[in-house]
Amino acid sequence: MSLVAMNVPPPGKLKNQIRRIVLAKVGLDGHDRGIKVVARALRDAGFEVIYPGLWLSPESVVRVVAEEDAGWLGISILSGAHLVLVPRVLELLRQQGLTHVRVVVGGTIPEEDVPALLACGVAKVFGPGSALADIVQYFQSECDHERN
Amino acid sequence: MSAISPPSDIPPVLAELWQAYSRGERRALARLLTLAGEQDYRAHLYRLLSAVSPSALVVAITGAPGAGKSTLIGKLIPLIRERGQSVAVLACDPRSPLTGGALLGDRIRMPTTPDDTGTYIRSLAAPPGRQGLAENLDLCIALLERFAFDWILVETVGVGQSDVAIRDLVDCLVLLIQPESGDEIQWEKAGLLEVADLVVVSKGDLPGASRTAEQLRQTLNLPGFPAKPVLLISAAKGSGLAELLQQLAGQPRRRHTPEQKRQRLLLLAQEILAERFQEHADLVQRLLDEAQSAGWDDWHVASQLINRLASVHAKCERRTP
Amino acid sequence: MRQFAGFGTARQTNQRFHFLLAKGQTGLSTAFDLPTLMGMDSDDPRARGEVGRLGVAVDTIDDIHDLYAGIDLHQVSVSMTINAPAIVILAFFLADARERGLDWKRLRGTIQNDILKEFHAQNEFVFPPEPSVRLVIDVIEFCTKYVPQWNTVSISGYHIREAGATAVQELAFTLADGFHYVEKSLERGLDIDEFAPRLSFFFNAHNDLFEEVAKYRAARVLWARAMRERYGAKNANSWKLRFHAQTAGCTLQAQQPEVNLIRVAYQALAAVLGGCQSLHTNSLDETLSLPTERAATLALRTQQVLAYETGVTNTVDPLGGSYYVEALTRQLQREAEEYFHRIEEMGGVLAGIENGFFRREIAESAYAYQREVEARRKIIVGVNAFIEPEQHPIEILRLDPAIETEQIERLRRIKAQRDNEEVRRHLDAIRRAAERGENLMPALIEAAGARVSVGEAMQALADVFGRYERPPTW
Repeated sequence: MSLVAMNVPPPGKLKNQIRRIVLAKVGLDGHDRGIKVVARALRDAGFEVIYPGLWLSPESVVRVVAEEDAGWLGISILSGAHLVLVPRVLELLRQQGLTHVRVVVGGTIPEEDVPALLACGVAKVFGPGSALADIVQYFQSECDHERN
Repeated sequence: MSAISPPSDIPPVLAELWQAYSRGERRALARLLTLAGEQDYRAHLYRLLSAVSPSALVVAITGAPGAGKSTLIGKLIPLIRERGQSVAVLACDPRSPLTGGALLGDRIRMPTTPDDTGTYIRSLAAPPGRQGLAENLDLCIALLERFAFDWILVETVGVGQSDVAIRDLVDCLVLLIQPESGDEIQWEKAGLLEVADLVVVSKGDLPGASRTAEQLRQTLNLPGFPAKPVLLISAAKGSGLAELLQQLAGQPRRRHTPEQKRQRLLLLAQEILAERFQEHADLVQRLLDEAQSAGWDDWHVASQLINRLASVHAKCERRTP
Repeated sequence: MRQFAGFGTARQTNQRFHFLLAKGQTGLSTAFDLPTLMGMDSDDPRARGEVGRLGVAVDTIDDIHDLYAGIDLHQVSVSMTINAPAIVILAFFLADARERGLDWKRLRGTIQNDILKEFHAQNEFVFPPEPSVRLVIDVIEFCTKYVPQWNTVSISGYHIREAGATAVQELAFTLADGFHYVEKSLERGLDIDEFAPRLSFFFNAHNDLFEEVAKYRAARVLWARAMRERYGAKNANSWKLRFHAQTAGCTLQAQQPEVNLIRVAYQALAAVLGGCQSLHTNSLDETLSLPTERAATLALRTQQVLAYETGVTNTVDPLGGSYYVEALTRQLQREAEEYFHRIEEMGGVLAGIENGFFRREIAESAYAYQREVEARRKIIVGVNAFIEPEQHPIEILRLDPAIETEQIERLRRIKAQRDNEEVRRHLDAIRRAAERGENLMPALIEAAGARVSVGEAMQALADVFGRYERPPTW
């Protein structure tokens, strides 16, 4: 099946799909305070937030994204393992023809690791200290942008 | 699943998705499930799916929040897989009436291995009102059925009203009750005890569970009426689950009886009408203004509303190829 | 002064231990990596990318040996921050000590071993709640008899607070957990005056100075009363609530990181005024990665200034009698007691875990706090007020990815060189002990010598107990 069919109608034109976000914790890190707060804030902003929980392997999280036909994947990693786990997730998304899914990463990500993450396909990185309002704002404006 | 060529007036994108879906591509299924909620595509999907022959066993699991629906489904999945059968799950959670957003976390309790193609889990947000059913739930069920899943489990939101309405979309309605929770009284009021095909008491390892099950058996099995099974399970201990699955597997496929088809049709018509109502708020307002000055009674207003929405709907239909 | 340390291989962490001891630290605190904390071996596929990152990787007794090499464990006390596989790690530690010719009766230290707070907050659990608690009691029972100077449980509120709980919730949930362990130990037939003196606590040292002091004071009162009146302890040491404090990690900010040094100083002051027995002060760069040597040294100096220059450590309970602190103490006490009531009514701590009570309470508080910050009703310097435009770059500690390969290699060699028949016998013995309800320490200590790995021991236990697959949501 051509990539065209997966992307057309453009994700933004589907009012439902673009507002479906999978928020996941990948790897063994179990700190979920932040991701739960972000989940609620995005729900309050009108998004459908799918939260498959903790300890997801890259394979599992990509499967969730595929089944849920989400437009976004938000990964939270506070263990420092982001440079190993995130590229793996992006590789799997590519392999399964899910390149239209936008990936956002949050957590303990030092400034100097951001270029590497962006280079492997991450759309945006929210490092420590990111304001909740900025995160929500980002998703909202990206979705509005897509729709137009 | 055989590949069926779609009619030629289907938009090309949908046609391509349909072909891929017919070949068994999960990505296409995922996208079609999304399109099932999009107005522009629904009518086409109904057409494409009209020839679906019944093959799946569709079971709805309802009960109060916290009763253990997700956990139960999570335990049933591996049992179904052990039987060599495939299972799809539609997990519904409520949509916020204010923001339209939703937190969909039921699938946490349904672990699956990443490469098992015999399972599929999809989270759906159910809007408030409209009896709480997720939009076009029947389309989603049909899409999964045609994809050849043997079992389709629907986890409902658990607010009462929707749990009765869903009966028309499924083969079997299971009501999950927590022991000693007072649930049973609430459900009796909502008419759910009558309407459920199977009643299951969860957390069977807790002290009050057998008592609750016994009470329910007495309430539900009055002489002269058809027997309604009441089962006791403990998802934590894994007891009673195999029996539950047996019971379910033996349920008649009710979904395609004329009776249920009629009910579903009514539901769909109501959904469409409600949607037109939402979309054309200005028309409604104009009507109300008219009614005000003309002094119409409510019945007349409502009647007029239906007529006007009907003509609006006809225009919409003509525009959609 | 006991600063948390651990990263990479056991050998590297051992070097860090020597460094800190030379700088004046008086006890060792061990941090383990995520795979070890979750009871997995370094070669487990799920451990990929995580080995040696947030702490030291421990797979077998050989790692324990390297970890404490050259350190006189009769003189230096050791703290181990580990929970789900605590019994396994402690067993390896004791086995190693025996191999080294050390006397268990002279070993001093703590193992966190508080599994209940994992279900509430930190999520580092493996087995379901009931068998998990049983393992905690196994450690209490064993050490009370054979390792009498060992603190068997560090009943923790720190993590609960970090997850977003309020001070009252931290206080109430921690003590409720403590009461549960006491009750289970009593059910086992243990003598309260024998095990209670070795129970210790671990609290958060947060921003609101007076509230924190009141919290610690309320904790002492509530614990002492319960021990004396409810559980009938006669030994004054059983009534005492001894606690380790750590300054609040969740209050550290990425913006203007030097300001964290100031925050930590005030939080440390609160802990000392509140009467903590030991203290960990966070490093200023901890929001970004594991601390650099310079940052870790500054954190230690914070305590040393407090201890030697300010004089605040010279008086016991210096804020006692203050109208404000006394009122706050009473209020926190009352509110904690309300929580105790609610927990009892719902059937106890395990019931609360089952129905998600603790998690919901904590998540609600976390969300409420976040909204306060967003609305600027709660001011955080540098974040929603007094913001500075330019960033000050911080040195980040980089971990050599070769560590993971090295550790995996080591484990492979050990597995190849050991007697695998013997390993199988030990794993069977572990399973049998688990099935029969016996104390698991002896079987685990014996297994250590045969080079059974952490992951293998945990799997043997999982074969009997099952795994607690997914936590409830909010």
